[in-house]
Amino acid sequence: MSMLPEQTCSHCGISFRWKAIKESADDDCQTIFCCRGCQGAYHMICAAGLENFYLRPDRATPTVMEGSVLPYTDIDLSQHIVSDGDSCRIDILVSGITCPSCVWLLERMLDRIPGVEYVSISYSGGIASLRFNPETVAPLDIFSVIAGLGYVPRPYSADQSEKEARRERDDLLLRFGTALFLTMQLMAYSYALYAGYFQGIGGAMKQFLQYVSLLVTTPVVFYSGWPFIIGAWRSLKTVAPGMDLLIAMGALSSWSYSVWATFTGQETYYESSAFIVTFVLIGRLLELSVRRRAMSGISSLYAAAPQRATLVGGSTPLTKRSLSGVEGHRTIEVDDIRPGDLLLVRQGERFPVDCLIVEGETEVDQSLATGESQPVLLVCDNEVRSGCVNVAAPVTVQALRPAGQSYLMRVAALVQMAQAGKPKLQQLADRVSGWFVPVVILLALLVGAGRLWYFGENPGSAIMSALSVVLIACPCAMGLAVPAAVLAACSRSASLGIILRGGDVIERLASINSALFDKTGTVTCGLPGIIQFDIYAGYDAAVVLQAAATVEEQAAHPLARAIVRYAAAHGYQPESCRAFRSVPGRGISGLLPDGKKMLCGSESFLRGEGVSGNIECQSESAATAVLLAIDGQLAGRFLLVDQLREGARSVVSELAAERMELCLISGDHQITVDRIAADIGLESALGEMTPDQKLAHVTTLLQQGRQVLMVGDGVNDAPALAAATVSCSLSGSSDIALENADVIITGDDLSRIATAYRISRATMTIIKQNLLWAFVYNIIGIPLAMSGHLTPVYAAVAMTASSLLVSLNSLRLMRFTHHG
Amino acid sequence: MDESLIILIVLSLCLGAGCWLIFIWAVKKGEFEDVEKPKHRMLDDD
Repeated sequence: MSMLPEQTCSHCGISFRWKAIKESADDDCQTIFCCRGCQGAYHMICAAGLENFYLRPDRATPTVMEGSVLPYTDIDLSQHIVSDGDSCRIDILVSGITCPSCVWLLERMLDRIPGVEYVSISYSGGIASLRFNPETVAPLDIFSVIAGLGYVPRPYSADQSEKEARRERDDLLLRFGTALFLTMQLMAYSYALYAGYFQGIGGAMKQFLQYVSLLVTTPVVFYSGWPFIIGAWRSLKTVAPGMDLLIAMGALSSWSYSVWATFTGQETYYESSAFIVTFVLIGRLLELSVRRRAMSGISSLYAAAPQRATLVGGSTPLTKRSLSGVEGHRTIEVDDIRPGDLLLVRQGERFPVDCLIVEGETEVDQSLATGESQPVLLVCDNEVRSGCVNVAAPVTVQALRPAGQSYLMRVAALVQMAQAGKPKLQQLADRVSGWFVPVVILLALLVGAGRLWYFGENPGSAIMSALSVVLIACPCAMGLAVPAAVLAACSRSASLGIILRGGDVIERLASINSALFDKTGTVTCGLPGIIQFDIYAGYDAAVVLQAAATVEEQAAHPLARAIVRYAAAHGYQPESCRAFRSVPGRGISGLLPDGKKMLCGSESFLRGEGVSGNIECQSESAATAVLLAIDGQLAGRFLLVDQLREGARSVVSELAAERMELCLISGDHQITVDRIAADIGLESALGEMTPDQKLAHVTTLLQQGRQVLMVGDGVNDAPALAAATVSCSLSGSSDIALENADVIITGDDLSRIATAYRISRATMTIIKQNLLWAFVYNIIGIPLAMSGHLTPVYAAVAMTASSLLVSLNSLRLMRFTHHG
Repeated sequence: MDESLIILIVLSLCLGAGCWLIFIWAVKKGEFEDVEKPKHRMLDDD
């Protein structure tokens, strides 16, 4: 087989083997493109005078998909435009931004569009904010520029929860900043007081420094520490002592002790209350930023294409602008569809509502609903569920139910039900402080009572020694123990391609003892791949492959795409094909450039077309065979199977080694499911499961006291994902699955799930070590405080040292690897 | 000597308050919204 040499695209930089588009620039350097899309993008960039872009060392540009049509109209976009005086503003979520150079390029390209007044793109969120003059430029033009460069633009408007999260973060930042400034001031006075403690200090000076300390500490405790005080009050009311109560108790007790000490000339503990608040606020801020980064990564994965459908004739009044020029065809919103309406569903479109086919026949990808990987042939009077994809030919359908009652919406309702029924787990830190707080209060009361009655001290000093027990018992280490470990774990796992949504996920993930895997799209890629390519006698592989690619290029069927990909990988690009014909469910035919007739399809299709020769071929296992015939003569055969995802076997063996109960759970036929299960080494497999059966299975396991990890990607997995202890999806999954996922694996490697599990176990170990250290500190500190021997200086040193120890211990997680 | 110390402390408090006000202004203006881009922008030529 002849192969083209490997070449590199001048625009996107990928290496490829097919026929390149070549161009000679004015000087003798030649530019090479992998496709026309990249060529177009290159010319756009050069026309804008931004050739410098190609000199940037860190650029990673997406490959441009040629001929992709934006699923928006100016009317769709007008809803997202905010009018601002003479100009307008729009926010655009841009997918595909991977490097600073992308931001550099997009900002400059958009800035050069006439009429665009201002543009700024945030690197982390991928959101472009533009101000433009609506009379000079239409928003659709801006979108086309972004799409022409290979990025995917979507209109973006911050929803309520996002605004809420932003306000929360700003509020936390202000409280933390204030605490930091004041604590820094306080340290200066505290050092002076420490020095005075050892070397002697004038009474007036000491008094003055303590007054100033009081002045700067009070806002830290009552403004910066306000969230803790509120939280403590709430937990007192519900008699559920938690972390907030411990922090508020520590801060308030040392503050009130110090106020008393200031006015009676004792040593003060101001820095300890300011430290606790500041350190715990750092922890909160870090945790919030982890969650925010995870969220922004997820929102960019959503495919928020507008929902529209094509109405044929019908009686729905014309309320929306008609988009197509064809007589009797109108584009309407999915919500406007009524039962009985006739709709046209073109090749490649999704069925908007549950419907009945009334005209034509086609193949439908039902993996969304059933989990079945191969498209199914559907004819007149067959029912199709909403969300399924029409892969073969246009059909006319009659709507059975309005969009609100269709399959997708019923699944969404199941998801909501599952979420509502999910018990909320108490977090480790709260569980620990749940018994720690009462113990500390009891000790403090004992100390106070003992001093008062046993030693006969005066009530004032008895109360003070009780307070000193409380403030020693609340080290910063306690507040940092969890957030520091969570932050380290989340940033490390993000760099390993695992997005963890929040710290509580780590805890739940570490407790897992059952794991369920969906088949299609999770354990398998959901795409057929070629396992074997046979040539019949008298034919050349290169000729057959080239011919197959040429004809299959015209079809949208997953098997056809697989063959085109296979040919491209071997260096064959499709040529022009004439007289293309597709018979849904059977095969395709077309004329090659040299006039020969090419047939691709099933055995029965080729027989029906009168192909002679020994067609009977035993197709091994459950592979699908696609036969090729040129001019009525059998020429070749492809064998295709739904391919296993990378790492599917290793994740099973790794989790099984942790003595986890594993099961494959799918909507596909039991035989197919059994075969895949055996292939990856799973013993139990459940097939033909509907979304509510999957949900019921998860609920049963939970009721048996098991902690369930559900891994799935489809709409039919969403209810089970919502109910499971921990849910995991892969990037590229359906929106509803991603929304319900606690853990998201970026990239294709399934073995990252095992890594996520191991990292969560390691994090729990670190958290326990941190908490243990905090207790050791207390075991030494409390008796000293009870006997009145702990002076402020030693308390401050011990506190700083233990906080440092906890932080450094947490950083050990940053060295975690896939195999460690 | 004590007087000069007191003056210095008051002065440092005023300075701190000034910085704090600038910080509040920065948060409100959204300067902390995107902390990734600025570090790359300084390497651009234009």
